[in-house]
Amino acid sequence: MKTLLAKPFRSPVVARGGCLRAFLRRAASGFALMAMAFAIMLAMMLGVVAGPLAGGARTAGADERPLRDVIDAELSLGWQREKVEPAAAATDAEFLRRVSLDLTGVVPTYDETVAHLNDQAADKRARLIERLFNDPRFARHQADLWDLILFGRHPPGYDTDKRDGIQRWLRDQFTANRPYDQWVRELLRAEGNSVEQGPPMYYVQYRNQPEDLTEVVTQTFLGVQLQCARCHDHPFESWKQLDFYGVAGFFARLQVVDVGKKDGLTMFAVGEKSTGDVLFTGPAKEQMPGKKGEPVKPKFLLGEALAEPALPEGFKEPKLENNKPPPAPQFSRKDQFADWATRPDNPFFARAVANRVWAQYFGRGLVHPVDNMSPSNVPSHPALLDALAKWLVEHQFDLKGYMRELVSSRSYALSSRGKTGEASPLWFQHARTRPLSAEELAESWRVATGYDDANKDKPAEKKPNRFRPLTDGYMLRFFGQPTNGVGDFQGGLAEHLFLNNGQLGSVIVSAPGSLLATLAKPDQPWEARVDRLFLQMLNRPPETDERDRFVALLAAEKDPAERLRDAIWALMTCSEFRFNH
Amino acid sequence: MSTLLHSSEHLSRRALLKGIVATAAGGVVMNWGALTHLDALADEVKKRGKRCIYLFMNGGASQFETLDMKPGRPTGGLFRPIASNVAGTQVCELMPKMARQMDQIAVIRSMRTSEVDHPGGIYLMHTGYRPTANVRFPEIGAIVAKYQGREGTDLPNFIKIFGHGGAGGGFLGPKYLPFEISPEGQLPTFSASSMEPARELKRHEVRAFLEDRYVRERQSEVALMHRESYEAARRLQNAHQAFKVDQEWDKYKALYGDSAFGKRCLLARRLVEAGVPFVEVGQSSYDSHADNFAWHKGLVPPMEHAWAGLLTDLKERGLFDNTLVIWAGEIGRTPQINNRAGRDHYVRSWTTALAGCGVKGGMVYGASDEDGYDVKDNPVTEGDFFATIYQALSIDPKTENLTGVRPVPLAPFGSKVVTELLS
Repeated sequence: MKTLLAKPFRSPVVARGGCLRAFLRRAASGFALMAMAFAIMLAMMLGVVAGPLAGGARTAGADERPLRDVIDAELSLGWQREKVEPAAAATDAEFLRRVSLDLTGVVPTYDETVAHLNDQAADKRARLIERLFNDPRFARHQADLWDLILFGRHPPGYDTDKRDGIQRWLRDQFTANRPYDQWVRELLRAEGNSVEQGPPMYYVQYRNQPEDLTEVVTQTFLGVQLQCARCHDHPFESWKQLDFYGVAGFFARLQVVDVGKKDGLTMFAVGEKSTGDVLFTGPAKEQMPGKKGEPVKPKFLLGEALAEPALPEGFKEPKLENNKPPPAPQFSRKDQFADWATRPDNPFFARAVANRVWAQYFGRGLVHPVDNMSPSNVPSHPALLDALAKWLVEHQFDLKGYMRELVSSRSYALSSRGKTGEASPLWFQHARTRPLSAEELAESWRVATGYDDANKDKPAEKKPNRFRPLTDGYMLRFFGQPTNGVGDFQGGLAEHLFLNNGQLGSVIVSAPGSLLATLAKPDQPWEARVDRLFLQMLNRPPETDERDRFVALLAAEKDPAERLRDAIWALMTCSEFRFNH
Repeated sequence: MSTLLHSSEHLSRRALLKGIVATAAGGVVMNWGALTHLDALADEVKKRGKRCIYLFMNGGASQFETLDMKPGRPTGGLFRPIASNVAGTQVCELMPKMARQMDQIAVIRSMRTSEVDHPGGIYLMHTGYRPTANVRFPEIGAIVAKYQGREGTDLPNFIKIFGHGGAGGGFLGPKYLPFEISPEGQLPTFSASSMEPARELKRHEVRAFLEDRYVRERQSEVALMHRESYEAARRLQNAHQAFKVDQEWDKYKALYGDSAFGKRCLLARRLVEAGVPFVEVGQSSYDSHADNFAWHKGLVPPMEHAWAGLLTDLKERGLFDNTLVIWAGEIGRTPQINNRAGRDHYVRSWTTALAGCGVKGGMVYGASDEDGYDVKDNPVTEGDFFATIYQALSIDPKTENLTGVRPVPLAPFGSKVVTELLS
């Protein structure tokens, strides 16, 4: 019991003495009061959700308006109340590029662009959205998004940069459109190993660090930020240190073991002991060397302590060893947490994912930042958030269906041309502007320049570099994390040094099939070729002044190859390409 | 009603953009409303134009072979102390040039830090924080760039010459990444254009045509920022001359000493003179687990020569009063000498030094015990060290930045400024 926890819990030391009993009692009674107040507040916040959640079935005669209409109606109320004017509707070209990037992580091809722009049918956007949902790149793009949420660009822990297993597993979840609650439960239960199954990799990041894991699990899946309560009671929320350590108790017995190698990758599995508790010694600043702590039992947030069966008489903890699948514990605390966290009536779960996925398409959460859904950080549109969460619960966490409603709303299809200058306005009166990820940029460059077309007959490499022909290390360094600490885009010198002086020339190939080769053919007038340039690279025809400017640039040369390269480079590096808008 | 609950990160982003909007936006200047306290602070600090050069002793220089001798003690080692130009302060005989500059610097002989190995120590002595899983702390260079840097300059605001530590801009973002010069003075990959200037200009003009249209139509903050960083990358082309020390080197060789580290220090001086607010200059490697004395005999003389030359040069150019020179490694070394004549890692009691920018010259702050095993008085933690540095640079060490919703002060919560060191 002591050995397991002595190390990870450096400050709350070993439990024995009674010096903290009084403190704990005080904290516990204080907590009960705060918890009651918080529960009332939460019930108010949940509003409409609470009914169907509690009942577990769809309410008869409920509001049957499609969610997309609810979205438009609620945002519209906000515009009226706040006296802001919504932007005009996005053009077909704007919508095409935006939704393609948002759903599949890549810009449309020239052919797709022309076909969509020429399509006169009334349902062309609905058909476009379905086509994108059925594109294999949909699942890959969603997996990319969740890989970043779960790991970031610099995951802690040894070997966590080799995530093929969990990345494939994430793709599989989205390919099958598995309900979100089911796959998160599977992720948190972390069965199997990190290579053949995948999910255990999530915990590998925080091996022997249950406190760090507690911070991220609650923040990511529940939108609850407990990190303040790690060292002291939260300064303005109701979270107490004991809430933090109550959650940490679910993870304190986890142990990462190495169960062999496959395809050159270490397979990690997550074992769980049957004994061991978190030890708690009070506020961090009162820590003294040698101070003893009290064991804290696992406790659900805003809920009860975990009821645990007693260990059998004379239980002896089996050893967890490398190269052996870890034995199942007598009673898994982690699984209890996974089940509780993903239940439809969990007070946080549905709202957290509704808000997070909303932000992927609308730029900011209804609660923002998306992972801080605390009572002091109220939603901009409370009724809408209720409706979104309710929809997800009623539709068994069908994320694809949810995304379909979001991108089919008129609000999503507003122009990004706004008056505020903001990338993501609070009242969603114009569409957001977001930077393309490193993966989106590389692939979109290849599509836009015809690199992929020119290389399509070459045999595929066994494990192709996502960023080909660019170096993955550079792409991740310069484009991997283009935001500051609060998630806003931030330009950097290094990015532009790479764009100006780096490897982009290697994408602008001249082989048949490439844009350069197509544009170099003199059989079309320059006007038509400039149209092609814009349609292929920016998914829209040029404006008149743009056409004139580019024709003047290109037509002046006897051998325009160099100018063509420069024109393609300018379109690859300009803001209109850099952002999804 | 709800704006008061959503506005904090709005304001911080606007603060960041303020300079850009004013310089680059032309017709699209927006009404930025009330500015936060942080904006006012950043503007005020910039007016004072303080700069910082961090001489980083990678591997961990020995306090016993530099600035905290223990002559005659079992831990004292092979070298003898010599007198300095400050009565009562002795330094190692390997440091004759710095012995004559001791009236310019303040020595802290009571460092006590909390990361005893290199990666953690390097992180700690660049950020003021221990590494943790869930927060990416920014380096001191990023912080000085943010609070003392200027928009629209030709040179980057955060430069490392043979720098160490990979924390970079941390959660402050890519705008505050270091511009990293190699040990031999090479510019980073991709920083130079090989394109013929006339062609580059044509290419630039057509790109600028597109960007101007986009910015004009969208009035977009992020596009403005994108354009500004593109412009900065382009301006850098005009500034390559600042990195070329070769022409000047003959003239300064004697002052800085004919060494690679000396050359790096001269470059650092040129850069701060050109207005760069933060330059790190590294020397490697002091990790003398074996043959400690031979290593120090090789490393200290060129280092101390360059250090002394740098102080002299800064004084002669009138830069000393506005330029803080930090001397530190990531760890100190053990008092006991191991069986390979080496000294191992030690952070319970070690030594750093500061100079310029209002630091009291001639001062020795704190003390180790007679064998150097422990701090005898006035311990200085990493947090105190960085708080003092930020204070000297007119940056309030309690200033907070957000990572997610968590406010993080520049120096760790509870750090104290060692006011005795500052005039």
